[in-house]
Amino acid sequence: MDKVTFRRAKVLENREVAPGIFLLRVEGDHSARPGQFYMLRAWELDPPLSRPLSVFDLDPSGVSFLYKVRGRGTRLLSRLSPGDELAALGPLGNGWKGVEGRVALVGGGLGIAPLLLSAKSVPEADVYLGFPGKPYLVEEFRKVAEKVYVTSETGEGGERGLVSDLFSPEGYDACFACGPLGMLKEVAKKCREAGVPLYVSLEERMACGLGACLGCTVPTKGGPRRVCKDGPVFLAEEPCWDG
Amino acid sequence: MVDLSVEVGGLRLKNPVIAAAGTFGFGTEYARLYDVGLLGGICTKGLTLKPRPGNPPPRLWETPCGLLNSIGLENPGVEAFLQEELPRMRGLGTAVIANIWGETPEEYRELAERLSRSDVDAIELNLSCPNVPGGKIRGGVPEEVARIVGLCRRVCEKPLWVKLPPEGDVLEAAQAAERAGADAVTASNTFRALAIDIEKGRPAFAGRIGGLSGPAIKPIALRVVYELVQKLKLPVIGCGGITSWQDALEFIMAGAHAVQVGTGNFIDPLCIPKIVRGLADWLAGRGMEDLEGVRGCAH
Ligand SMILES: Cc1cc2nc3c(=O)[nH]c(=O)nc-3n(C[C@H](O)[C@H](O)[C@H](O)COP(=O)(O)OP(=O)(O)OC[C@H]3O[C@@H](n4cnc5c(N)ncnc54)[C@H](O)[C@@H]3O)c2cc1C
Ligand SMILES: Cc1cc2nc3c(=O)[nH]c(=O)nc-3n(C[C@H](O)[C@H](O)[C@H](O)COP(=O)(O)O)c2cc1C
Ligand code: FES
Repeated sequence: MDKVTFRRAKVLENREVAPGIFLLRVEGDHSARPGQFYMLRAWELDPPLSRPLSVFDLDPSGVSFLYKVRGRGTRLLSRLSPGDELAALGPLGNGWKGVEGRVALVGGGLGIAPLLLSAKSVPEADVYLGFPGKPYLVEEFRKVAEKVYVTSETGEGGERGLVSDLFSPEGYDACFACGPLGMLKEVAKKCREAGVPLYVSLEERMACGLGACLGCTVPTKGGPRRVCKDGPVFLAEEPCWDG
Repeated sequence: MVDLSVEVGGLRLKNPVIAAAGTFGFGTEYARLYDVGLLGGICTKGLTLKPRPGNPPPRLWETPCGLLNSIGLENPGVEAFLQEELPRMRGLGTAVIANIWGETPEEYRELAERLSRSDVDAIELNLSCPNVPGGKIRGGVPEEVARIVGLCRRVCEKPLWVKLPPEGDVLEAAQAAERAGADAVTASNTFRALAIDIEKGRPAFAGRIGGLSGPAIKPIALRVVYELVQKLKLPVIGCGGITSWQDALEFIMAGAHAVQVGTGNFIDPLCIPKIVRGLADWLAGRGMEDLEGVRGCAH
């Protein structure tokens, strides 16, 4: 089993890459598999819970996260400056083990976050990225994947429309998708019809991140499963999508 | 030399800081992070006779300095616990307290009987879970407490702790537990509380009412302990909102023999070993050898 640590780490960079979307880089010799995450906090008691964020990238000097400001926790994270400290618990979760053959990585919105490490670990993977508006960080993906398809709902910087509409699973041996529930359901339907195995990354509110509190459990065909420990990556046919 | 060990309700603990039920799984999860042998003990997730899937998501909701949960006692059932979890827990090097919940008084008795013949160190009756549909909070009703504790006492040789809700007739319930043969009282569980999802215009949880824990409840939990200690002969185990050694010391000065830490583990996963260290350092700094001299000093 992976070694999990809880430690303070210095912020190296916290840059707004698109309105309300930040790239946070933190110091330390971290390790993580694609799809794994950390629980982060940069405050004392309130809010009580740390915030789970997927590992976006790893480099020798640190680990980075890509996040959207949604509520109090992410707003507090967005105010961090280089040199400030935060506390990180991780790496957590099963992560995506990767598969042989032709692979498609499909991300919608902040769902692109866990895909960069995946693209790095499966060099032949094709990448599909969907954005609500102007795309960001696409060049990071182009550095590691030959084919990167981009959609945007406004048509800026990519094909107009939804990534789940553009994407077709034909010809792939496996897919990995991450993003809003509606998009995941749509991609799951296409993969099911094409008979292509699909892995998805799920999100739930989390307290411990370690599998101890059962706060993040979702119903699956095999019974209740903890998103933080048994997931966040599941085969798409496992979760009971409609509760 | 500082000695933090305590005797609580028939059980000797290496120190008075225990992981609260439901927040620490079966101990093995946190063992990936640190040596949980540093703990005074671990209360298991609430066990039931049959496995329970628990409540649908969401199960967690934050409030200022507080956490609402609606887990619904998801657990693998007592048999799976005994077969799979207990052997691993025994290897962790700390006391194991089995927290149990029954739908009926007879179920409590059956669970207590089964666990009394096992390798656990003590049994904690959860008479206070706010999260099970149709489940009554029996801990607030003295007659019910007397009945359940009495039934369990007859079949259980192990130390028997009774965990009460912070609401209802807590003092009378605790006295009923004492008369019925309990060895200690844990005060308290979460407060029944509500959050409304304003997007959906309905309660955040499918089961509507959840349980409030965390720093937000600490002063109330402390008051409950303070009042219980004045009237009870049984040792009281304090619980509610503890996140630091200073908090733990407040409960001990209020008269608690031991404390339990729940939500504090989520705020800082290393919280319990830090509290143990903090208590030892504080005593050493004052030239004191144990907690006897300060227990209950605030009365
Ligand atoms: C494994 C995992 C990986 C993740 N990876 C990423 C990632 O890489 N990048 C990323 O951006 N996110 C990621 N997330 C999601 C991220 O964790 C959440 O966005 C974050 O926790 C939100 O925290 P917050 O404090 O900002 O928002 P919160 O304050 O927790 O609020 C979240 C939302 O709920 C709403 N809300 C709060 N109270 C109420 C109420 N009473 N009624 C109705 N609505 C309410 C808020 O308005 C807000 O929109 C991941 C989640 C998981 C589980
Ligand atoms: C996620 C969660 C699960 C819990 N599960 C149980 C349980 O199974 N049995 C029980 O007696 N108490 C349970 N509790 C209550 C705690 O053990 C504790 O009494 C309460 O949270 C107050 O302490 P705290 O403020 O330190 O968390 C649970 C609390 C939380 C937050
Ligand atoms: S967050 Fe505690 S079990 Fe998943």
